Amino acid sequence: MKLKRLMALGMAAVMTMSLTACGGSDDKPSDSTAADNAAASNTASSDKDAGSDSDAAGETPSEAGVPTIDKINVGEDYKDLTASIKILTNRTDIVDTVYAGYADQFMELYPNITVEYEAVTDYEEAVTLRLTAGGWGDIMFIPTSVPKNELSTYFMSLGDYNTLDQIYNFVDEKTFEGNVYGIANGGTAGGIAYNKKVWADAGITEMPKTPDEFLEDLQKIKDNTEAVPLYTNFSAGWTMGAWDQYIECAATGDPDFHNNLPHMKDPFTKRDDMTGPYAVYYVLYESVARKLVEEDPASSDWESSKGAINRGEIATMVLGSWAVNQFKEAGDNPDDIGYMPFPITVNGKQYAGSGGNYGYGINKDASDDNKIASMLYVKWLIEESPMFLDEGSIPARKDGEFPAVLEAFDGVELIANSPAPDGEEDLFDDVNNESEVGINNNDYPDCEILEAALYGTRTLDEIMTEWNEKWSAAQESLGVEVNK
Amino acid sequence: MGKEGKTFKEWFGSRKVQRYLVIFTFMFLPLLLLLMFTYIPFGKMIQFSFYNMKYIGKRTFVGWKNYVEVFNRPEIFKSLLVSVYYMLGGFVQLALALFFATMMVFKVKGESVFKAAMFFPYLISGIAIGFIFKFFYARGYVLDSIVAMFGVAPENIPMWLQDTKINNISLAATSVWRYTGQNMILFLGAMMSVDSDLYEAASLDGANKWHQFKYIILPSIKSIVVLNIILSISGSLSAFEPPYVITNGTMGTGTYFVMMNRIAHENQKVGLASAMAIVLLIIIIIFTVLQKLFFAYVFDNGTDDESKAAARKRKKQAKQ
Repeated sequence: MKLKRLMALGMAAVMTMSLTACGGSDDKPSDSTAADNAAASNTASSDKDAGSDSDAAGETPSEAGVPTIDKINVGEDYKDLTASIKILTNRTDIVDTVYAGYADQFMELYPNITVEYEAVTDYEEAVTLRLTAGGWGDIMFIPTSVPKNELSTYFMSLGDYNTLDQIYNFVDEKTFEGNVYGIANGGTAGGIAYNKKVWADAGITEMPKTPDEFLEDLQKIKDNTEAVPLYTNFSAGWTMGAWDQYIECAATGDPDFHNNLPHMKDPFTKRDDMTGPYAVYYVLYESVARKLVEEDPASSDWESSKGAINRGEIATMVLGSWAVNQFKEAGDNPDDIGYMPFPITVNGKQYAGSGGNYGYGINKDASDDNKIASMLYVKWLIEESPMFLDEGSIPARKDGEFPAVLEAFDGVELIANSPAPDGEEDLFDDVNNESEVGINNNDYPDCEILEAALYGTRTLDEIMTEWNEKWSAAQESLGVEVNK
Repeated sequence: MGKEGKTFKEWFGSRKVQRYLVIFTFMFLPLLLLLMFTYIPFGKMIQFSFYNMKYIGKRTFVGWKNYVEVFNRPEIFKSLLVSVYYMLGGFVQLALALFFATMMVFKVKGESVFKAAMFFPYLISGIAIGFIFKFFYARGYVLDSIVAMFGVAPENIPMWLQDTKINNISLAATSVWRYTGQNMILFLGAMMSVDSDLYEAASLDGANKWHQFKYIILPSIKSIVVLNIILSISGSLSAFEPPYVITNGTMGTGTYFVMMNRIAHENQKVGLASAMAIVLLIIIIIFTVLQKLFFAYVFDNGTDDESKAAARKRKKQAKQ
């Protein structure tokens, strides 16, 4: 009885406070049970948001006791919360060193919260299976196999889109029906890693801006230096799939290209101004056909290629900006590594696509305490930890500091794919999977381009025609409306 | 407690009940495991093969459409041709294993060291073997260096993984390397059961080692040879690790399993991949039945010591 009365009293006190607390969200009482607090702060936040465009926050299924990520204050709120959380990651290489270090720093701030990392090899597949089984932990990098409309089945909403989109980059990648289920662990810009010294030694003074200029430069490197002009890393597989990332933003400068793709007729056809997907694959095909790549793609080795580009034995590698730091760390010449935009110019301007890394998602079925602890840790990681400078990636916060490596992108416009229109969130994935062209999820079609160029069995136009046919067949079987 | 009625304790203690109790308790666990990890998943797979589905998300029933698609895609059946390399590799492997086992059956110095060394590759995981051979075949690495030692000019050394004429042979060789020792141990086990007096008697009669192998060893271990042939043919139809790890199925090395993996995991067409698995199962069953029939024709039932041809000859001679 006594307890009940106490709680009711506390409740009343909290309610009154929340009424007066319209001005600020940071005055949450730090005593009594966490659930009560959170309920109160949630009421407060919905009060606050009621005035804005919609009452989305009120509807947001931010499960009764848990605040949204924008409302939580790391280092101030929930200092007494005791919880033990588990976080899954794909970075088996640094989980015990760098990531454990982040966890330690956080645990100094929140001594009662225990953060435990678990590294998962073969991340995508293993985690997809564990998701369906449940009981996997509290935080994970949301695997790409979870379609947007399934996000709410496994992950809790971190807040509503309109609010979080103001604060963080790349939130639309994990948004469904106005709720955000994951915040990207920073992002990368699509470009090409190169060894500045080798390029300069070859007598190249100006960066290439078109596919043909790029191929001429590679030829110069072949003629004037000992280095491999372009290292494909073919045998790793995913390095070939990496070419797909340039066909959208970088090749077209159109943030809606990704959304239009499933509706396009013959998207892989050659364009006269050498832009679009064809131009990207043209660079790949021609550099192989003109023997500007390593002699033996089938026995290329990713690990040793990092050191080779650092030493200047490799001139160029077509990979995301995340790779740059690894190249810098792989040898004694970190300053030789540079990063340039993909050589395609659309109407006189160069573009680079930027996109989010894996997003942090929080288990929907975790206890409220664990959810709050998880949210604190995620927010601390993406806002306070030195992670993005360490990794050289675009920070999660829109006003965050850009890493030095992207300074080379002066005058290049960074764009990201726009969010899919309502009701078409899965359309691209569906057409992409059904057609088996596998843009950004299947490496094999890109490998086929290299094989065709290497053995001279097929021309690029034949391959692109085949992809167009597969694309059309998928559109037809899924009943997608096709724009002429 | 009457004379006619048994108490529970008596009934429970009776030999018959105890016997069933022992049988069922001992059977329960293996049967449960078998059911859980073999038959239920298998039944699920048959079910999946009739659906259009991803790993997560909704499923739609499509009937036989997946099966029709399996037969309408030329690249799927083309990938079965790659298995021919592994089948031929399987025969090389059998011959080698028989050769080494025969050597070992007669007294050899350092026999157990040799045996262990031969068997060792089988103990390494297939993935690790893949990585070993990836470097073994890589340009300028182990194999190239060995070949160069014999004075072959670097430009004449083929690209072991890239040249479509030989890359499947390179890959099949890794599986020969892996399984030869295991086959050898199986053969050796069977050969050990041959009475060694026979060798002595045979050599007194003037039989050399080849004769001993042909007339004593081979007939006695025929059933295990047949078994190994069946295993290696069904194994070559489902070859997966070497092409998956070493070349990822590129450059024309994609076997049926690699294709199936790609369709299931990269394109998320689980239904189609399940249908492919069922089709492969049927192909393997057909192959096994054909082999059974073949050996039944040649050797009656595959276990008799005498081939049919030999039996006919003997009967003919007996008549005369």
